[in-house]
Amino acid sequence: MPAIRDKFTIHSKAVVCQDVELKGDITIGAGTIVHPKATIFAIAGPIVVGSGCIVEEGAIIVNRRKEVMRIGDDNLFEIGCRVESPTVGNCNTICTRARVHHTLRISSYCVIGAGVLVVPTEDEMLDDYTTIYGPSAERRIWSGRGKVQEMDLRRKHAEYLREMLPKFNRLRRGDGA
Amino acid sequence: MGYDTPTVILRGIARYTVVPSDPPENVDSRMSPIVSTTLGEPPFFLYCNHCRWDSAEVGITFEKPTGLAAQLQKFEDSAPESLEFERLKEHFEPFLRASSSSTALPSASSHHVHTNPITAAASSALARDIPGVGKYNPLSRSRIGREKAAHRQEYPDYKSRVEVGNAAALSGEVDVEFLTHLETVDEVASLEQRWTNSWVSPLRSSDLKPLRIPLQSKKSKRCPSCRHILIKPEQKAQSTRFKIKLVAANYLPAIAVTLPHAQAALEMMKRSTAKSASAAAAAEEQQAAGALIAGHSYSFHLAFTNPLYDPIQIRLAKAVASPAQMTDDAEAAERARRSTFQIQLPTAAFPVGAFAEAWEYDDEDEDMFLDDDGMELVDARGKKGKDGRGKARSVGIVEKRANVTIMSGEVLIPKEARGDIRFNMLVSYTYRSDDPEPSEEAEMGTPSRSHGANKGPEMKNFSFYTVVDLGSIMYREEPRLSADL
Repeated sequence: MPAIRDKFTIHSKAVVCQDVELKGDITIGAGTIVHPKATIFAIAGPIVVGSGCIVEEGAIIVNRRKEVMRIGDDNLFEIGCRVESPTVGNCNTICTRARVHHTLRISSYCVIGAGVLVVPTEDEMLDDYTTIYGPSAERRIWSGRGKVQEMDLRRKHAEYLREMLPKFNRLRRGDGA
Repeated sequence: MGYDTPTVILRGIARYTVVPSDPPENVDSRMSPIVSTTLGEPPFFLYCNHCRWDSAEVGITFEKPTGLAAQLQKFEDSAPESLEFERLKEHFEPFLRASSSSTALPSASSHHVHTNPITAAASSALARDIPGVGKYNPLSRSRIGREKAAHRQEYPDYKSRVEVGNAAALSGEVDVEFLTHLETVDEVASLEQRWTNSWVSPLRSSDLKPLRIPLQSKKSKRCPSCRHILIKPEQKAQSTRFKIKLVAANYLPAIAVTLPHAQAALEMMKRSTAKSASAAAAAEEQQAAGALIAGHSYSFHLAFTNPLYDPIQIRLAKAVASPAQMTDDAEAAERARRSTFQIQLPTAAFPVGAFAEAWEYDDEDEDMFLDDDGMELVDARGKKGKDGRGKARSVGIVEKRANVTIMSGEVLIPKEARGDIRFNMLVSYTYRSDDPEPSEEAEMGTPSRSHGANKGPEMKNFSFYTVVDLGSIMYREEPRLSADL
């Protein structure tokens, strides 16, 4: 196993706390917030996180494949979730303690409900606006009504965090590589 | 807000919130400043947080976020059943008025004046002529009957709004069409989603409507002997609080059961695996570590928490209810004895401290082990007690801290035992209340008088039965060591 070479490219407007476990080749876009005690492991391949994402405490983002793991913009990874999916689109919400397998690709405006374990047996791409909920991971297509308000809320959420987190946590700066 | 979501109906927890629609789409919405209108824009609709269903999918929207029932009344009034009923009422109204006026004339003194056409219809139907049954006439005799017979011939035929015979919905053609063109099973509403209604609901899951939460009543409870109010909820429907709440749990010691060997195994596992491989495997190991295996003996801890402001003395006893005593057959009794678990409980009274604020407690750390039973505490394998502290006794007080006392008991599981380890325990406790007794109490019974001063402290005794459940017995085949010789 080749040693994992750390290479962090963190945008100057991103807020990444000191107490975050980062490993491998990670790129974090503008305005993204990574809470303390989050984990981003780019073990086999690099991870690229878009702008405006919020990664909360205890969230684990792992890339065990050689290909680049691309995460889009305005996603919310709630507390304790675990995401290994190779593609994540924009404006998704992975709720608390949800777990997403690496065979699933997430598109945009999806919601993986709290505690849901999504393990498809073969490679699958979720449609836009899919909501997965319940202990047996039932699926529904959301009508999309209310998405403007939700994105509004997310932006407000991110703005608030950008203001508050640096006051109480030390920040980690990029390597400047 | 009082509606159950149709898709998540089994959860029961999911309630709808009333949400406003999105503001009109802005072309460069990405860069626009954050719009913050707290009130939101109409139309409003119901929205489920869990599955993101909204009522606009079934066409239910509201003009304003309050007064939903009134806004829904319009929908309910335009349902085909109510329209049909209205038409029926209109059709029969002239006849009802005529018949009620004729019956009112002779016996106005004993009948109510029926202003409501519905009650008029009901009473005229009740007063109708039934062949073979003698007519009941409180006042006059056959004058009313003759008039009714005359009126009955004047009813014309009623034509309903919809030709019922050909209605597609009734003949089921619509359903057949729908089912032949099904793509996924999810399109059909499940039985659990439909059978709570007392009316026929459509088959399509996209046609499911939100359910109104049925009214519930709040009950207050009284003591059966002295009729004192024990539980009295608040009048307001939305508040869950209680005006009067006298719960026994506030006066009885709380008991918590733990298995120390399970916790010790869990600690060791946590220390050895810093990052667990998967949550499922960890949970299994945890279960296996805490298992009660037949043929072993385990100690269990009972933590007693005293809620009262006075210290109490607790005495435990096993409540005997063994079926083995019933059998006459000695061999069967012997077998039963061998296959049920044995419990050893501390029998002496032990104190539990009074409840006080955290800073008032002295720093006690007594680990007294009392030799209560003097029983053999060696399990089937010949090992001494499981806590590994080197102390031989394992039945007695483990820890006494603040208002909590932890006692330990032992359970011996013979090899043939199966099932759950569940036993009844009688907990009696007594305490001396320092409050001076009111004079009425002293008159109630002789015991208080015999104690001496009426106004002095009293010894109060309470006892209750409880069930202690330690878990199920797991049977594990021990690997047989074969003798090679």
